[in-house]
Amino acid sequence: MTAPVAESPTRTMTPALARRPPASSRLIALWSVYVLTLRQHLHGKRWMVIAGMCLLCVGLVVLVRATALDFPPLMLEFNFGFMFIPQAVLPLIALIYASGIVQDEQEEQTMTYLLIRPIPKWALYSAKLFATLTTTVILVVGLTALTYAAVYLGSKTGIKEASYRALQAAAIHSLAVVAYCCLFGLISLLTKRILIVGILYALFLEGLLANMPFSIRLATVIYYTRLIAYRSMSFVSAVPGNPDRTTDVAAEIWQLDVHTDPALLDHPQMRTCLIVLLVACAACSVLAALLFSQREFHVKTPEKA
Amino acid sequence: MPIFDQGYQHWKGHLSGHGWRWLAIARHGVRIGLQGRVFRIVLLVSLLPALVLATVLSIWSLIERKSDLVGPIVQFLSSMQILSPTVAADPRQYRLEVWTLCYNYFFSTELTLSMILIVLVGPNLISQDLRFNALPLYLSRPLRRIDYLGGKLGVIGAFLGLAIIVPCLVTYALGLLFSLDVTIVRDTYRLLLASVAYGLVIIVCSGMLILALSSLSRNSRYVALFWVSIWIVGGLASTILEGVYYGQVAASQMSRPPEMPRGRDARRRMTPADLEKQQNWAEDFQTRMAEASKTDWRPLISYTSNLSRIGRELLGTDAAWRKLSELQPAQMRGRVVASNAGPLYPWYWSAGVLAGLFVISVCVLSLSVRSLDRLR
Amino acid sequence: MTPVPQSLAAQSPTAPSPTPQSVAAPRSIVEFHGVSKWYGNVIGINKLTLRVPVGVTGLLGPNGAGKSTFLQLATGQLYASQGKIRVLGQPVWNNSAINRQIGLCPEQDAFYEWMTGWDFVHTSARLAGLSRAAARDATERTLDAVGMTQYQGRAVRGYSKGMRQRTKLAQSLVHDPQVLFLDEPLTGTDPVARHDLMTIIQRLGSEGKSVLVSSHVLHEVQTLTPNIILLNHGRLVAEGNVRDIRDLIDEHPHHIVLICDEYRRLAGRILSWDDVEGVRVLAKEKGLMVETHKPDAFYSRLPQLSLEDGLAIKEVYSDDDSLESVFKYLVNK
Repeated sequence: MTAPVAESPTRTMTPALARRPPASSRLIALWSVYVLTLRQHLHGKRWMVIAGMCLLCVGLVVLVRATALDFPPLMLEFNFGFMFIPQAVLPLIALIYASGIVQDEQEEQTMTYLLIRPIPKWALYSAKLFATLTTTVILVVGLTALTYAAVYLGSKTGIKEASYRALQAAAIHSLAVVAYCCLFGLISLLTKRILIVGILYALFLEGLLANMPFSIRLATVIYYTRLIAYRSMSFVSAVPGNPDRTTDVAAEIWQLDVHTDPALLDHPQMRTCLIVLLVACAACSVLAALLFSQREFHVKTPEKA
Repeated sequence: MPIFDQGYQHWKGHLSGHGWRWLAIARHGVRIGLQGRVFRIVLLVSLLPALVLATVLSIWSLIERKSDLVGPIVQFLSSMQILSPTVAADPRQYRLEVWTLCYNYFFSTELTLSMILIVLVGPNLISQDLRFNALPLYLSRPLRRIDYLGGKLGVIGAFLGLAIIVPCLVTYALGLLFSLDVTIVRDTYRLLLASVAYGLVIIVCSGMLILALSSLSRNSRYVALFWVSIWIVGGLASTILEGVYYGQVAASQMSRPPEMPRGRDARRRMTPADLEKQQNWAEDFQTRMAEASKTDWRPLISYTSNLSRIGRELLGTDAAWRKLSELQPAQMRGRVVASNAGPLYPWYWSAGVLAGLFVISVCVLSLSVRSLDRLR
Repeated sequence: MTPVPQSLAAQSPTAPSPTPQSVAAPRSIVEFHGVSKWYGNVIGINKLTLRVPVGVTGLLGPNGAGKSTFLQLATGQLYASQGKIRVLGQPVWNNSAINRQIGLCPEQDAFYEWMTGWDFVHTSARLAGLSRAAARDATERTLDAVGMTQYQGRAVRGYSKGMRQRTKLAQSLVHDPQVLFLDEPLTGTDPVARHDLMTIIQRLGSEGKSVLVSSHVLHEVQTLTPNIILLNHGRLVAEGNVRDIRDLIDEHPHHIVLICDEYRRLAGRILSWDDVEGVRVLAKEKGLMVETHKPDAFYSRLPQLSLEDGLAIKEVYSDDDSLESVFKYLVNK
């Protein structure tokens, strides 16, 4: 029993079958995914939360400067630029965006529209990740610039020096947020509870264990970014209320024993830190792309029994 | 014949009053919440502080009865200078203070666990209804908005009540049973009422806030992140601001601290005069910090600090520390109070912040959860 | 060869010989060979072997039959736990190149709600790899084809259900695929929208596209195509022309209704025929309900009956050739 033959089609199928999409059309498709993801980031209320966090940061700096007139700018920069932002704001920004790379599309059930396009799955994930990195880096650079402006505008520090420090800080923060995004993007493919895992990671691993002189801190992003910051920037600041005295505020707070090991030989060098972070980002991204390519995305069909 | 009767409209029986309609929503929410394995584990973990509290109160009650069972414990605590001889001699005199501090520590631990419980169950409450357009399903029934919101708040209330209020009541009863002394009720009934009141403050304030956040977005993940931002980022911001402030106070009001010798051996070789110098400086430091904290508004930025401040006021923690500090030598009393009492700014500042957040939450909910005739 | 039950295959006088060699040059768009798909302990598809032919085909089955699983397997969203799947001769899982020839109109009502209709279809065209100019042209053409040109500037969140279905259909067509999978395209639409969508689908079929339509709305699928695939509990129950399938269901005799004023005399007359299994009198309609296993033979004798005995049969009809009756017989077995 067979179905009756349909009316002859107006075009043959064989030429279409033999035709692979040219490289240019694949690039167009990938670019479209990238642009689509960027546009998704602009919609919704996510950016309002991020803007709120940026304003909070800047507002706090302004508040401190208004209430503690002789507070050294470098110490203020350290407290907000290298304590508050890296420990609280960067992981949150990364969690907000990276957790949604796949899960947002799944929850909105729009993943289907991407999966049925002539785009390899690993490339689809990579394009979305790259768009997420673009968004988060732009946000972080903006946040850092605003914070530094709030810290140094009107202070005795020269604009050139302040700008250079802002640039360095922005680069370090961007590297940190890229690492967090790659990591959280991978975790979001391994578990639905990316939020809990991400918060626990940020609180305990990055917040607590990174401050302890144990090997576990080698597995944290913040340890490497702190070393990069310490090795590339100076954190010797005047003590509040006693301008004649200076203190290396970063070494003190980050528990870097510069008295017995001034060159920090016990800690990785800057190049090593950079390589470790970049390799970790690449590894997380590749693994996540691989996982994505092998994963099924169920709509109307059960995920498991 | 055309069909007129639809749904419940044909029901000629008695409809229960509005007083209990929220319960159906709360019951359903609790059932859904308990389905999550992670949530059940966290809920069980949140009951652990209650176990510790019950154990401590029971042991204290036995100490009051001078029971032989706790003899070794009393000896151990005395040797570690945790239990003063004065207290060991007449524990009943310090009954209220000890109970107050036990409840204070219970609440300080439970507050953090409550925040985690809220992160797990709170974001879904209204955001999922918005996502799946379930609001008309609720509001097309004989349910008012307040019934709906009451039901949702009831879910938070059920879980936090189970973690906070129920343990307070049960541990109070256990302490009473172990002591076999009815005068405990006379001495500590205010503490029981205060702890229930504090529990209700946590439930209502946190519950309304998370409901308001949940009504702002259809994606519960972002609601949870928003809640975490308020809790953790606010806390961290407050800590940094306080660090800056107290650093300023210390720098402007105090001399340099005496040099602390480096290394354990060097510290062992310190003379009594050096040690006294260190202690005096520390005492002076603590006292000045305590004074400065009376006008320090910075803790108001931290949501949990505000709740803690209200809790300390309701429970009378500061008064308990003041009484216990009388057991210390005169020169140490200020330091004991200063290091344990916490920020001393007026409690009504925190009450104002929490009330303000409550009002904002109500306004947000009023705008976000619209009744059926206003739904687009 | 289609995996029909042996009894059906053996009894069909028109069924071709069940050997692969006798099948003509491949004219199938989708091939499933021994495909199974399970989710833990739940079997979605159970050893399914079939070929979906060129043209418009209806995919039918009750809830939980495996239609969604079938479509998701065929479009490469799921991978088969067992067996092989080929679309246009190529494997689908992780083969993104084949997606250039496939269009899917999914069942879920999900969009990028903040986009306009034009934006949504244009983005779909770009995602398919079309250049900017080609995507623009294709978008305008496709929106015109589905009748959405007038509303293309409005945000999707403001669309009615029918508009949303049309927009979904447009995104599946914009890159001019050879094969279209439509998952319940008529669900939730009003009669006017339903009629328009069906016209579009029929036109697509006539233009040479192969369309596989999954639907619950049986009489509309019947209007679209006589070729169906019927699934139940993850298995293939029947495949092919509705009428042929009906003929082969020998367990259920055909019911034919005859309206005649002298229905009792007619009853007596036709009871003598061997192929008549039973007759029921429909006194109110002044007719008879006849059960027969050989409807063609029965129909051929009716005119002679009128001529010979003067029995004026006013009306003859049968609901049995409908998809609904086929569905009912096979699914409720």
